[in-house]
Amino acid sequence: MMRKSTLSVVLAASLAATALVGCGDGSKSSSGSGQTTSDGAKVVTIWSPTDEPAIEEWWVEKINAFNEAHKGEIELKREAIVRADSYAYEDKINAAVTSNDLPDILYVDGPNISNYAADGIIVPIDDYFTEEDLNDFVDSIKVQGTYDGKLYALGATESSVALFYNKDMTDAAGITMPDKLEDALTWSEFEEIAAKLTTSDVVGTNIIMDKGEGLPYVLEQFWISNGTDFVSEDGSTAEGYVNSEKGIEAANFLNGLIQKGYANVEPIQQEFHNGKCATMLGGSWEVATLETQFPDVNWGVTYFPVADNGGIPTSPTGDWAACITRNADVEAAGTVIAYLMNQENVTTYAQAIAKLPTRASSYDTLTEYNDYPRSLFKEQSLNTGHPRPRTPGYTVLSPGFSEAMMNIFTGADVKESLDQLAEETDSNYQKNYAK
Amino acid sequence: MGKKNKDLLYNVLFYGGNVIIALIFVSPLLWMIAASLKPEAQIFSDMSSLKTFWPTSASLANYIEVFTRVNMFKYIINSLLYVFVIVAFDMIINSLCGYALAKFDFPGKELLLTVIISLMVLPMEAIMLPLYIEVANLGWVNTWAGLIVPFVGKCFSVYMFRQFFIDIPNDLLEAAAIDGCGPVKTFFTIVMPISGTVYATIFILDFVAHWNDFMWPMLAVTGEEMRTIQLAIQTFFGSKPIHYGAIMASLTISAIPMLIMFVFLQKYYVAGIASTGIKG
Amino acid sequence: MKKAVVKKYHEKRAALLFVLPVVILLFAFLIMPAISTIRYAFTNYNILRPDDITFCGIDNFVELFQDKDFKKSLFNTIYFTIIVVPFQCALALALALLISPRKKGVSIFRAAYFSPNVTSMVVVAILWSVLYNPNPSTGLLNAFLTKLGFPACGFLTDPKTAMNSIIFMSAWQAAGYQMMIFLAGLQGIPGDQYEAASIDGANKFQQFRYITIPGLKNVIKYVVMITMIQAMKLFTQPYVMTQGGPQNSTRTLVYYIYEQGFQSRNFGYACSVATVFFIIVITMSLMLKRVIKAD
Repeated sequence: MMRKSTLSVVLAASLAATALVGCGDGSKSSSGSGQTTSDGAKVVTIWSPTDEPAIEEWWVEKINAFNEAHKGEIELKREAIVRADSYAYEDKINAAVTSNDLPDILYVDGPNISNYAADGIIVPIDDYFTEEDLNDFVDSIKVQGTYDGKLYALGATESSVALFYNKDMTDAAGITMPDKLEDALTWSEFEEIAAKLTTSDVVGTNIIMDKGEGLPYVLEQFWISNGTDFVSEDGSTAEGYVNSEKGIEAANFLNGLIQKGYANVEPIQQEFHNGKCATMLGGSWEVATLETQFPDVNWGVTYFPVADNGGIPTSPTGDWAACITRNADVEAAGTVIAYLMNQENVTTYAQAIAKLPTRASSYDTLTEYNDYPRSLFKEQSLNTGHPRPRTPGYTVLSPGFSEAMMNIFTGADVKESLDQLAEETDSNYQKNYAK
Repeated sequence: MGKKNKDLLYNVLFYGGNVIIALIFVSPLLWMIAASLKPEAQIFSDMSSLKTFWPTSASLANYIEVFTRVNMFKYIINSLLYVFVIVAFDMIINSLCGYALAKFDFPGKELLLTVIISLMVLPMEAIMLPLYIEVANLGWVNTWAGLIVPFVGKCFSVYMFRQFFIDIPNDLLEAAAIDGCGPVKTFFTIVMPISGTVYATIFILDFVAHWNDFMWPMLAVTGEEMRTIQLAIQTFFGSKPIHYGAIMASLTISAIPMLIMFVFLQKYYVAGIASTGIKG
Repeated sequence: MKKAVVKKYHEKRAALLFVLPVVILLFAFLIMPAISTIRYAFTNYNILRPDDITFCGIDNFVELFQDKDFKKSLFNTIYFTIIVVPFQCALALALALLISPRKKGVSIFRAAYFSPNVTSMVVVAILWSVLYNPNPSTGLLNAFLTKLGFPACGFLTDPKTAMNSIIFMSAWQAAGYQMMIFLAGLQGIPGDQYEAASIDGANKFQQFRYITIPGLKNVIKYVVMITMIQAMKLFTQPYVMTQGGPQNSTRTLVYYIYEQGFQSRNFGYACSVATVFFIIVITMSLMLKRVIKAD
C-alpha cells in the first residue's frame, strides 16, 4: 500500500505544520514609534529598498558606527524592503499606512514625496540641516524634496539622462556629436541624425518605451525644453500645461520619431547595447553596464537634446530620498537623517552605488567625475537638472502620461489624448488635494 | 496495411505530434535556462536566431552572483515551508468539506454549495487591503500565521473535491458502513486511498499557485526572516541597471522545486481510480 | 427504522465536523474582507488617509456609471471571457486526450504541456513581446507574415488586435492547468468500457462521443466553471504586458480595481468597482450553477 503510506506522510506533515503555525509568534511588526530597548535607547527603524551588495554592506557599516556612537540613546535598525519592477514598494507603504505600521524613516522614490507630504504621511525636515549644509546639496534634490515651501526629503544620490550613441555608426555616417553643453543637439538635428542612422536592421534611436515610470521621467524634458511643463509651478493644474500648444508640439515631435520608424514603440531589452539601435536616451547607470558587460561596443554620449530656436537646456533628475514619517520620534529620527546625509555618508553611499552624489563637495573625493563620459552627467546634474513635477497628484499623472503617450504612438489623436490626461489629472487633484 | 505497419504509423504520429507541440510549450523554459547560463551581453543579442535557446559559452557565473548576493537557501526553505503547510492543510480541510458536500445529507447543504461557488469568483486583488487590515488587527503581520492561515480554506479545492467524490460509488461506502466503519474512518481508510489522482492534482495546482505568490507575502512580511523566494527574485529588479542573467538564474532556481514535485507526483497519474477495481 | 435515524444523526454530526473548518476560514478571511470592501464602496477613502474616511452615499456608483474607463473594462472582461473559455477548454481537453494513451514517455509530454504554468510571467512576457513585436526585423511572427507577403501586424501595440493577442497567449499559458484536471477525470473512466466498445466495433470518435464525454461530465462542468471564473479575474497579463493599453483595449475590471485603489489612491471608488464586479460574477456563477443542475 504505497499510496496509503504517502498519505500518512502528508498527514503527519500537516500535523507538524499545525504545531509550527501554532507557535508562530514571530517578531512584532517593525513599526518604530515609541519603542525602546532594554537599556533605554529609542529605536529608530528605517525602510529602504533592497539593493546591491555594496550598498547592503554600506548600511551594515554605517548603522554599526551610529549605534556605537549613540549607545543608550538611539538604536538604529533597517528593514530592507523588496523593490520590484512594479509598484510593490508603494503598495507596501499604502498597506502600512492603513495598519499604522510605518517605520520612522522611509526611503521613497522622488516624485512620490509631494503625494506623501500632502497626505501627511511624512513631516518636514528643515530643522535638521543648517543653511550652510543645505547649500552643499544640488538644487534638483532640494527641489524634488520640497512641498509647499518646506523640505520633506533628501537623498544621497541623483540620476541623469543623456544621449548615448554608437560611435561606429555615427562615424560611418560622418556625424560628429557635440561635446559642449551650449552646442547640444536641437530636436531637428536629433531627428535628422536618427533618420540618417535608421536602416532596415537598425533603428535611429530609443526613447525609453518602458510603458512605466521611465516615460514621464525622461519625456517630461521635451515639455520643459519647449518652455512649458506637465503641471503649473504649484502643482495644482495640468490644463494649459501638459496639453498646451508647446506641449502638443513636444508630443508631435516624439510621435514623429515613432511614426517615421526612427524609434521602436516596443523596443526589446538592450537594443542599443546589441547594436540594433544607433542612439538612445539612456540613464547615467548605463555607463557602468556598457563598460563592464559590453566592452566591445564603441560608444559615446552627448547632452540631452534641446528644443529648436533657443529651447531651454534641461535633463531629467530624481532618485530615492529619505523622509521622516509622522509615526516617528522626530528628535531621534532627525538625528539619524542628519547623520545619513552628512558629507562623508553621501560621498561613500554615492561611491558604493556608482551614482551621482547630491553634494557638490562630494565631487572633490569622487574624481572619476572629472573625466568624460562621467563628467557630462556631472555637468548636467549641476546645471540643467529638472526633477519630475511636484504635485500630490503625481500618482495619477504618471501612469496617465505613459498611457497617453502609448495611445498617441498607436494612433490616437495627440490633442485629444493630452486634453484627456489634463482633465483626469485636474479632477483627481480637485477631488483629493484642493483646499 | 498490416497491424505492425499500422502500429508503427500510429507511433510515429503519436510521438512526432507530441514532440512538436511539447517544444512549443516548453520553449520559454528552455530559453530561461539557456539565458541563465549566458553572459549578460549575449542574452538579447542572440534573440533573432535559434542560438537564443543554446548557450554557446555556458558558465555558472550568474548562479554564483545569485548565491553571493542573496541568501537563496534560506528563501527556498522559507518558500517550501510556506507552500507545504498551505497545501497540506488545503488537502485535508477542503477535501473533508468536499466529501460532505458530495456524499452527506445535511441541512444547509445546498446553501453552502451555492455560497462556495459564488465565493470562488472573489478576486484577491479586490479584497486584499481589507484582508490585510484584518490580519494586522489580529497582530499577524510578520508572522507565519498571517502568511498562511488566510489561504487554507479554498473554494476551488472544495468544489473540485466534491466533483470527484461524487463519482465514487455509493455501494462502496455502504459496504464500509455495514462493516461498522464510521464516516470519519470511511473517509480516511476508503475514500482517500482511492482518490490519489485528485489529491495529486490539487497538490500540483496549489503548489504552483502558492510557490509563485508575490503580492501577499510582500504586504504581510517586512523583514528578511520570512522572505520567500519570489520576493528575493524581485530584489534583482530593484535598482538599475537590471542584470537579466542573474534574474534568469534565480528564476531557474525557483523552477527546480516545482519540476521535482511534478516528477514525484507523476505516478499518481498512472494509477487512478480506474485501476482499483471499482466501476462507476 | 431506528437504524436509519441513527445513521442520519451520525451523518449530520459528521457533516458538521467535516465542513466546519472550511466554513470558519472562509467566513473569516473571505466573507469578512468582502463585506468590508462593500462597506468602503459607500465612502470617500483616499488610501493614504485611513483616519479620514467619510460616508458619501451612492456617489461612487453614480460616478461609476458615467465612467467610460469602467465601461470599457467591463466590456473587455466579458469579451475576454467569452472568447477564451471555449478556446482554452477545448485546447486543454485536446492536450489531455493527446497524452492519455498509456505509452512510454507520456509523463514527459505531460510535464511539457504543464510547464508554461510554472514559467515565470517575466520570462513569458519577454518571449511573447519578441514574438509579437511590431517591427518585422525583431518580431518573429511579423517576420513570418511579411515573408508571406502580408502586412506587418501591430499585435499588442494595435488596439484592434491587442486583446486577441492576450487571449491567445493566455490560452497557451494556462491550458496545461485544465489539462491536468481533465487527465485526473480521464483516469476515472474505467478502461474496460473502451475495450467493450471496441469489441462492439465503435470507432475512436464514437468512443469519444459516447464514453469519454459522458464520463467526464462532472469534470467538464468544473473545468468550464473555473476557466470562466479565472477569465473574469484576468489581471496579470495586462498588468505585466500592456498596462491596460493601448487605448484602453486591454484594461480589465480587476486591473481597474487595482489601478484605482492602489495607484490612484481612490480606494473607496475602487471598492465600488469591486462591488459591481462581485454582483456581476456572483450572478453569473449562480446562473451557471442552475444550468449545470438542470441536466
